[in-house]
Amino acid sequence: MLMPAVPIIGLGMVSCYGAGLDPLVEALRNGQARPQPPTRFPISIADKIKVAQLGDANLARGESGAEAVILAAVDQALVDANLTNTHDVFADCALIVGSSGFLYAAEDEYRLTMEKTGQPSDPPLHGTGWMAAKLASRLAIGGPVLSLSTACSSSANAIIVAAGMIQRGRVRRALVIGAEGLSAISLNGFYSLMLLDPEGCRPFDRERRGLQLGEGAAALILQAGDDREQRSARALFCGGANLCDIHHVTSATPDGSAMRRVISDALTASAATPQDILAIKAHGTGSLDNDTAEAAAMRSLYPAGIPPFTAIKRYIGHTLGACGAMETAAFIGCLRSGFVPGTAGFEAPDPKLAVSPLRSKAAARPGRYLLNFFGFGGNYASLVIDHE
Amino acid sequence: MNKPLNQTAYIHGAVALGAQKDYLPAQRHRLHADPQAADLKELARQVTGQSLRQASHFVELAAIGSQLCLQRLPRPAPGSTAVYLGTGLAEVRKTRALFAQVMPPGPGSASPFDFINSANNMAAFYVAKLAGISGRNLTIMAEEFSFEQALMLAISDLHCEECTAALVGGVDENSSPREQHLRHIHLRENQVMGEGSSWLYLTRERTDALGQLLTVESLPASATATSWLETTAARLEQWLERDSSARLLAGFRLTSEEIAALLGRVPALRAEPYLDHCGSFFSAAAFGLAAAFDHRSASSQLYLHVNRDAAGNVMIVALRVFGSAA
Repeated sequence: MLMPAVPIIGLGMVSCYGAGLDPLVEALRNGQARPQPPTRFPISIADKIKVAQLGDANLARGESGAEAVILAAVDQALVDANLTNTHDVFADCALIVGSSGFLYAAEDEYRLTMEKTGQPSDPPLHGTGWMAAKLASRLAIGGPVLSLSTACSSSANAIIVAAGMIQRGRVRRALVIGAEGLSAISLNGFYSLMLLDPEGCRPFDRERRGLQLGEGAAALILQAGDDREQRSARALFCGGANLCDIHHVTSATPDGSAMRRVISDALTASAATPQDILAIKAHGTGSLDNDTAEAAAMRSLYPAGIPPFTAIKRYIGHTLGACGAMETAAFIGCLRSGFVPGTAGFEAPDPKLAVSPLRSKAAARPGRYLLNFFGFGGNYASLVIDHE
Repeated sequence: MNKPLNQTAYIHGAVALGAQKDYLPAQRHRLHADPQAADLKELARQVTGQSLRQASHFVELAAIGSQLCLQRLPRPAPGSTAVYLGTGLAEVRKTRALFAQVMPPGPGSASPFDFINSANNMAAFYVAKLAGISGRNLTIMAEEFSFEQALMLAISDLHCEECTAALVGGVDENSSPREQHLRHIHLRENQVMGEGSSWLYLTRERTDALGQLLTVESLPASATATSWLETTAARLEQWLERDSSARLLAGFRLTSEEIAALLGRVPALRAEPYLDHCGSFFSAAAFGLAAAFDHRSASSQLYLHVNRDAAGNVMIVALRVFGSAA
């Protein structure tokens, strides 16, 4: 069923480049990616991996620190949407949090307790809905409150679900949050799977060896488009799709057919054809399997030639559940600044992939753009946005 | 809080798998204490036809419950069936295991299998893979309302033709020791620490349906206990304008005093204490609603599930089980 586009009216961001979307957009404009070893907490593999981590200036510790980063992103989104003086701004508003989990906050609480007492304690683990409930109480959210935890597609799915709630008249406004922090467990886990690139991620590159994790938070405010006092949209959400690739728990169907299907479904939901897409923000993790399948999907969808495509995980890292919100906000920020970012970390094409992403930035034109997110457990999401 | 979802869906399959590996009415027993940890390997093999060797306990719960539900359908579920898995804590046991492995004083390295299995959406992946379905797939975490929010998303998607069928589950596992588990979910001293995996299969087709979901709605938190009672009772009474009686499925946050007050205020309600059989956990509402299909009488029966979250918000699910003579 075709639904009207939903304006995205406010964007907020906290990334390794600092608070706000502007420093990240500038880094993307100038091609300044700076993966570094993790330094936030002791970890035995620190000299073997690279991450994108928040500067200490952005951080308080523990659960309250995690909440503070998210609230900082929300505050920026409210400013961006010109909603800071709006009474009951979240009264008729849904809150949907997309995250792989708040393990990083639990780990830091655990460290804080050990620093105080010298003793290990029970891990303070909560479901992601716990953070959504805390935020809802803090922000006085009047609409539905939930979190989606579907690995790397979490906050992309949150955008799709949020837009759907607005389109179906359940709420007038929706606040989508993507949040992730560096976790010793996640770093060790991906390392044990040999999925981390010691040099930082190199999307679609012939020497690529895996992921580069990152952290941060993004907030997107979506609002019904029929409001007479509607603010200028940052972009329009045209449509999206989500599905489960049941090939294997950790790797994609190698021929890219499941990825192609979710892209096609997103295009159908947006009343768009592949040829309508001006450029693609690829998932581009730098892993052997993901990039192979994603390249195959793009080749099969565009047999006559793939539109320009880019991947930005070398800048902000792979922020797992947050990447949907963070990369969508970052990409919109770049489009509004007039460019599609280049792919940091890509130097030489892999002949087996037969694709080459943008090496340097290109001019952005008004029109439609495709953003892809492909996660563990075969959970895929694709979004189509309209940049005017 | 949430506008009522004035859309319904029909239930074509229902299974409630409890903490004692019970999924048939004759297997249900009252839980008087925290249940012993159930080994689900053999049941998983019997039900799924596969040896889920590396699967976690949470994945086993989800796999068994969802497969039992699908096996009760008159026809195979289409490949485009959407999966909505509501859970409060997801992989709590695996995550605790990883904590012990990685955080001091542990060895500092993670088991790759434990890490993969700790992802919150692994269970929903296995549900889809075992069923051969590759449609929309969401893992919804919303504390006490995890299952209710999953239902709302599913019903809304059905009505907007995002999918033609939806498999909606509520799955949570417990962990031990109790005092450690209670750091993840606050329970009262007299509440049994339960677990379960319960599923409903929904479409918009009335033909061959076993029942109907009439509403999923919420009421805002009330300032006082009296206003909570009046607001909730008034809403439940509206559902009783057509039915002379209804079964009250009281969620785990309601106290016995509140339940008694509701029953006293709305005499047409009769209590159906499903938590006695499954214990308390975030997605227990799924067990209560699915277990309503354990015993179908000749005539239809209205069930009203009432749950509350820590902030005092209330969610109500109204479900009609069609009579077996229908």
